[in-house]
Amino acid sequence: MNEPSKTPHKDPLIDALVGDLRPVRVMKRRDGVLLVLGALAVTVAGGALWIGLRADLMSGGASPLYVIVHGLLLLLGLAAASAVVVMASPQVGAHHDAPKWAMAMVALLPLAAIATSLASGAGAEALFDRQHDLNCLTHGVGYSLLVGVVLFYWLKRGAPVSQSQAGLYLGTAAGALGIFAYGLTCPLEAMNHLGIWHVMPVAIGALVGRFAIPPLLRW
Amino acid sequence: MIADEQTLSRLAGNAQKGDRRAYATLLEESQGWLRRYFRRRIGPGQLDDLVQDVLLSLHAKLGTYDAKRPFLPWLAAIARYRWVDHLRRVYRNEEVTIEGFDFAEDPEQEVVAARISLERLFEYLPEGQARAIELVKIEGQSVREAAEQSGQSESLIKVNVHRGLKKLAALVEKAD
Repeated sequence: MNEPSKTPHKDPLIDALVGDLRPVRVMKRRDGVLLVLGALAVTVAGGALWIGLRADLMSGGASPLYVIVHGLLLLLGLAAASAVVVMASPQVGAHHDAPKWAMAMVALLPLAAIATSLASGAGAEALFDRQHDLNCLTHGVGYSLLVGVVLFYWLKRGAPVSQSQAGLYLGTAAGALGIFAYGLTCPLEAMNHLGIWHVMPVAIGALVGRFAIPPLLRW
Repeated sequence: MIADEQTLSRLAGNAQKGDRRAYATLLEESQGWLRRYFRRRIGPGQLDDLVQDVLLSLHAKLGTYDAKRPFLPWLAAIARYRWVDHLRRVYRNEEVTIEGFDFAEDPEQEVVAARISLERLFEYLPEGQARAIELVKIEGQSVREAAEQSGQSESLIKVNVHRGLKKLAALVEKAD
């Protein structure tokens, strides 16, 4: 290893950069994960204070379908958020494919909702209850904002080089964790409601993240 | 002399704590490595600018490096990102040529370099897109000249450059 020269380097840029060096705050993945979990906790707490959690949540009264749907949304949100946290520190050889599988699993929910509605003879109108459905959609999107802002801040601090994918995962994570948080207050358990209207905020988040966020991540 | 991966990681970790001697050495080693890394995929007239851009990015984003991980894949990801950015911005009307070069001088470096080289990125592109980018964005030929040389139509050259750069941007971390 060469000893660094005490005289100025041939390259003035290196001299300038060395002169400008200050101790830096290293971005640790653990800090990013804690930020996301904190944002999720605040969102859940806000929903609990504003609307109130489902009364049967802790007593085990929720249906298995409700638990499965929101379990999948939580896992998707955590997988996508973890990928975003990692993507702030670039690395050739890094693959960020895990959230794609979780996205594929959650994508089965609307398909199942449509299939069961059609099979039961209820038709497409059974998938749409204006009052409750739009309520969940708007609240789900609204509840996703804090997680989205936290992840965006993390990426802006970092050096994401796969920006389209980072934006997609950011939106997906925010949407999934947002509707998960709101879902803790939602009393509806029908497949046609959960499968469509609790997944739509995720799709909206993914679309916004994929197309609106990447230009903002350039550095 | 070329520092090994372990030494580079240690230097980067010390630089993060404010060690200027370590940082100076790290920047010198990185500069040399980047020159070799880019030489075959950038016109000689653009090499210094690109290397400087990457060093500035290294400086700005030093906090994103995890000292428990290898340094060169981190540097290479930033280098690739800046390279794709560079290809998008420059070369439109410049006449540049490619020089032959010896990529790595150290066997250990050679293995690392081969894994993360820019050549690997081109392997993921369809032949037409890779050829169009090489002719227009790296050699600096006009669209018409590139079309004549490659046998592709002018509109296809434009489409292939556009799609190829988009694909390269998506491959920065993946293609190892």
